[in-house]
Amino acid sequence: MLKANGETEQEALKKEKRRYMKPELKRVQLRPEEAVLGGCKISSNAGPTGTCVTCSTSGS
Amino acid sequence: MAEPFIIADLRGVAEVISSLHVRVADLTMSLVSDNADLILGVDGAAKAFVVNDSSPDVEMRVRWGDLSAERDGEKLFDSGRVWQLFSENGAYLFKFTSKLHPWFPYKTARFNHDFTRGEVALHRPYFAGEQFVYPLAYPLDELLIMNLLARGRGAELHSCGVVDEDGRGYLFIGQSGAGKTTTARLWEKERGVKILSDDRIIVRRFDGKFWMYGTPWHGEAELANASRAPLTHIFFLQQAQHNELLRKSRAESVARLFACGFPPFHDPPGLEFTARFFDDLTRAVPCDELRFVNDEKVVEFVRQQTE
Repeated sequence: MLKANGETEQEALKKEKRRYMKPELKRVQLRPEEAVLGGCKISSNAGPTGTCVTCSTSGS
Repeated sequence: MAEPFIIADLRGVAEVISSLHVRVADLTMSLVSDNADLILGVDGAAKAFVVNDSSPDVEMRVRWGDLSAERDGEKLFDSGRVWQLFSENGAYLFKFTSKLHPWFPYKTARFNHDFTRGEVALHRPYFAGEQFVYPLAYPLDELLIMNLLARGRGAELHSCGVVDEDGRGYLFIGQSGAGKTTTARLWEKERGVKILSDDRIIVRRFDGKFWMYGTPWHGEAELANASRAPLTHIFFLQQAQHNELLRKSRAESVARLFACGFPPFHDPPGLEFTARFFDDLTRAVPCDELRFVNDEKVVEFVRQQTE
């Protein structure tokens, strides 16, 4: 049976009974050293004489 | 601005210059050397990002300096090993140290409050024997772009950017080991496909449309392309036993984008902008977790799922 707004009774009931959803906490992993550019970068000649500033190897 | 000049005693090995313009994600950084014997140059992936530009977003002078007695301002951020950021009379001061030379910086970079003007100082003894110097060498170039983006311009993501032959832009996001380089190599074999980067992509918005840009900061596959493409789909990489696509909620998508982003953690307004930018991005572009097997079938799987 259609209501005035065009909804069926079933649809209206479904809306009223919309179940409460408890907020869910999801953890997302953050890698601080990567996020702050604190590590090596492949093939970037960071630092003088083309050495990697963090691990001291050439062109790492 | 100083005119470029060529040093004759390099026997024509490379054209070396006193001014240099580098453009990443439509942001142009201009460098001018203040010392006749400080020759600017570029090597590696950054070469593809050198432009001739007369209207830079950032203007920088470069000079030799004695950094052994460099003073500290108020420390704003410490990356742990590679760089530190200080506040100095309303300006920003970056200091870069090397494990080989930990006693004082091999390089400093000062910028005004909005990062439109700066000065790079290089500790000369450290660079002895170098034919030329790229003053923006990692991580300064990336730090500068990161700060410019967070001032309302966009965001950088730890990701691989793929442009399919029909021009659709796919962004595969993940931290180290997630499969970005693997993904780049699988797609690279495909006809008409372009890889913008296998490790770092910048996303910007123009006229309500999101674009992804290649950057010089590539990964193991060493793929770095200076062009851009419309961003049509975002995938969070997850290696698995079979190929599967899982739609993610906007809240989770924003969190995962933020965890793989490079926002300036010292700058609360910049962090807020970045979070809002990612929120807008998830409204405009579908975000899915891509559980994938490391073989070429995933390419066809992605194409089928996004048609």
